Amino acid sequence: MTPAAPATSRPLIAPQALMRIRHLELRARVVVEGFWSGIHRSPYHGFSVEFTEYRQYTPGDDLRYLDWRVLARSDRFFLKRFEDETNLRGHLVADQSRSMTFGSLGFTKAEYAATLAATLAYFLHLQGDAVGLLTFDDQVRDYLPARHRVSHLRRLMHALERSAAGTSTDLAAPLQRVAELVRKRGLVLLISDFLAPLDRLEAALLQLSASGHEMVVFQVLDPAEVTLDFRNAALFEDMESGRTLLVDPVTARAEYTRRLEAQTRAVRDLCQRLGHTCLRLTTDQPLELALFDFLRARMQRGRRVNRAGHHATRSPA
Amino acid sequence: MSFLAPLFLLGALAVAAPIVFHLVRRTTRERVRFSSLMFLRPEPPRLTQRNRIEHWLLLALRCAVLGLLAAGFARPFLRQDLPAITAPGQARQMVLLLDTSASMRRDGVWNEALARAEAVLRRLGPADAAAVFTFDRTLTSQISREEWVATPVGDRLGLALARLREIQPGWQPTHLDQALTQAADLLNETAAASTDAKRQIVVISDFQAGSQLGSLQQFDWPKGVEVSVESVRASTAGNAFAQLLADVPGSSATRESAVRVRVSNEPDSTRDQFQIGWAGPDGAPRGAALDVYVPPGQSRVVSLPAPPPGATADRVLLRGDEQAFDNTVFALPPEPVRLEVVYAGSDVESDRRGPLFFLRRAFQDTPLVSVRVVSVDRASGPAPHLVVVTGPMDDSVLPLLRNALAQGRVVLFAPVSASAFATLGKLVAGAALGAVEERPAHYALLGELDFRHPLFAPFADPRFSDFTKIHFWQYRRLDLTALAEARVLARFDSGDPAIAELPVGPGRLLMFAAGWHPEDSQLALSSKFVPLLYAALELGGGRPPDSPPAWVGASIRLPVEGLPAGTPLTLQPPNGVRISLPAGTVSFDGASAPGLYELAAGAERRRFAVNLDPAESRTSPLPADEFERLGVPGGQPSVEPVREAQRQARLQNAELESRQKLWRWLLAAAVGILLLETWLAGWTARRQTLNPEAAT
Repeated sequence: MTPAAPATSRPLIAPQALMRIRHLELRARVVVEGFWSGIHRSPYHGFSVEFTEYRQYTPGDDLRYLDWRVLARSDRFFLKRFEDETNLRGHLVADQSRSMTFGSLGFTKAEYAATLAATLAYFLHLQGDAVGLLTFDDQVRDYLPARHRVSHLRRLMHALERSAAGTSTDLAAPLQRVAELVRKRGLVLLISDFLAPLDRLEAALLQLSASGHEMVVFQVLDPAEVTLDFRNAALFEDMESGRTLLVDPVTARAEYTRRLEAQTRAVRDLCQRLGHTCLRLTTDQPLELALFDFLRARMQRGRRVNRAGHHATRSPA
Repeated sequence: MSFLAPLFLLGALAVAAPIVFHLVRRTTRERVRFSSLMFLRPEPPRLTQRNRIEHWLLLALRCAVLGLLAAGFARPFLRQDLPAITAPGQARQMVLLLDTSASMRRDGVWNEALARAEAVLRRLGPADAAAVFTFDRTLTSQISREEWVATPVGDRLGLALARLREIQPGWQPTHLDQALTQAADLLNETAAASTDAKRQIVVISDFQAGSQLGSLQQFDWPKGVEVSVESVRASTAGNAFAQLLADVPGSSATRESAVRVRVSNEPDSTRDQFQIGWAGPDGAPRGAALDVYVPPGQSRVVSLPAPPPGATADRVLLRGDEQAFDNTVFALPPEPVRLEVVYAGSDVESDRRGPLFFLRRAFQDTPLVSVRVVSVDRASGPAPHLVVVTGPMDDSVLPLLRNALAQGRVVLFAPVSASAFATLGKLVAGAALGAVEERPAHYALLGELDFRHPLFAPFADPRFSDFTKIHFWQYRRLDLTALAEARVLARFDSGDPAIAELPVGPGRLLMFAAGWHPEDSQLALSSKFVPLLYAALELGGGRPPDSPPAWVGASIRLPVEGLPAGTPLTLQPPNGVRISLPAGTVSFDGASAPGLYELAAGAERRRFAVNLDPAESRTSPLPADEFERLGVPGGQPSVEPVREAQRQARLQNAELESRQKLWRWLLAAAVGILLLETWLAGWTARRQTLNPEAAT
């Protein structure tokens, strides 16, 4: 499937409108179906857990997958290969620390991130991929292993709907945990605001890369966070630690944006260095665009990997 | 600048409110919850100079409004001398009465009274006329009205204060009624000259319950005279006092030679344990002290034993009471009086049928009186108290009898036979008493008695007046026709005189028609005999010295009994200044201090004690409505002098303030500033709307 720009005939759904839909799964469906309607003629062409091909048995292969009928009929050893094996295992790693509860547009970053995660999960589910979830703040909260079932998707949505309560953000520990839990190589989708020290992030990402995982990093920021869009001097209170600080935004803005950009750049550089994708989203951006950017980044990566001669049996995402 | 209600100035603290609000607005800003402060640095906001100036101007205006309002409510005024409040037409005529009675000697009372007097005198205006009196038993003028008016205005207060400071309270009782009525009369007299003057009596006293107020009830209070009461209080309330009780002769106390003392405690007292005992002239105790428990408002009578023999005690001391002025009661321990009866007769004492036998037994010694019956040749002095003549005597007795009569003594003539009348004839010059022996058929009885005469006065009571049981077997008929001055005191039932009295100079001659010996009558055996003889003894001055209570300020009966008559008397009060009294003086009312007085007549001396009037010791204050009850106009309970001065100052301040009315100007200024502030605020707001950038 070739990702294309969404059809211009149909306007994108503004996040403010989307967030009025209370049900998270419904929200994801709206996004994904709108997206599909732009890029597919028939999104429901079907996928199966069925047989895809035979392969010559070589010693050491798992005998469970040996096709005994073929052996009985032709006395040759063939292995059955199923679609399951070729499917992607997507792992959503969602930041649920309290800094994600900030929002200046009527909804919080956490809600936006949850919608994004749900959209991605639903999209992957529609493609037949297994989706898992790991939520974290300063430690890992919920973990759902990657499965491809409708009920599992429901549970995943439910876990995403939990409110963010963590008092701090530790980016490295959940990634290490993913590396421990997920043995099979897969896609790790990290959604966070990255408003935390980055010192241990590189080691965790490196570990995931070494395990063969592919990573897509979503940095979700509120527009007010990006520009420090406040007018009056005020006592700024840290949502996570409760620390207060007297700040005049007018004078502090330049310094703030400079340091925020430095952080964003550090995250992006880190991802690029390890060959991962980094996408920065602000909560006023439509989610279809996020999905589109995600797919395009995956396409580019797939080409890059193919060029590198890397053997890939993955289905195009 | 002063303020009538300075507390309102606290309202100026409200000025702090706008300032505080301003500061609060600067410090407490809105809180913004932000996702992370990791990219923020603390940076206090800066204000532009222009903003500050604008706000400070408004702030200053608002503060000024509040300050002016507070100052206006505090009612400021400028101090300046107010012209005299009393107009000349309303000049006052004042009489200041200052109590100098003994109760003013209590702690702190006199000083406060002087302070009150000074405060009262200071309030007087130049047109007011005052007279200053002190009073206790009598009213004493210190500064007369004429002297006050004649003194220059500036010197009046100094003069009055100098006079008052020389005075100290005395020992006299408080005759408040007399002082008030005399002062009212005085004001009434002076009122004739200036009818429109306000007349006022100011009384400065402790208004103790013992003050005399009796004559106020009858007093017709003159119109327009008002009484202002300045009551002073002792620093410590309560008082206890002792009082010697007069003994009835013959009572048990007399016989036991103890004195009875009443210890009283005032109702407002705080103590109830006291000791009472004898003390010497040096104040040191003599003998043991008695413990007395007297609850406040009550009194107890204790019997105080005589001081130990040989100890010189002349006063009773009450200890345990804080008010010392009345704790000493002067008292002389009882001393027996020696009286002498001279008997002139032919019989001897051993003769049981003779008069002397009965006479000697009639006079028994008591602790207070010791009577000695002696014969003529053993008479110790020229003037025995009683001379009894029974038999015919030679002329050597006559000088003694004449002398006794000249000294005011009594000669009792009770002849045992008609022959004895010869002596009587020699004694009473020219009197030839033809005595005839009478022997009634059965017996004679006393039929008519003059109970008004001192001789029979003890029997005046109907219980004792029955003389009918005394039988007279024989008597001598007295022929009194030649003696015009003779007075028959008793007659027999036959009408013949039984007892007659003949005054001879200051003395008296008592003539009995019959003797008391059994041969003549049953008189010696009757119960009337002894009292009759004692009555005869007392007629001649042989009275045991009953000591009526002698009080300072009261008329004191002098103990002249037994002193030679016709001799000038000398009285020595405790302060040592002798007072000469003419002969025959029996009373004295000039005692100015309690103590032991000594009365001297020639070589004879008598001491007697003078004490404080017990009414003066009743120091609890009079009821508040007492003056009102007695119809004294304007006798209001007084206020403290300091408070009074403060009240005057407040009145003066209020008068000044109401004349100046500065608060109006302050309120007008506040309104003006308020208008200015409104305009300025409106102008600023308009400018900010037009130029929003400049406002931020």
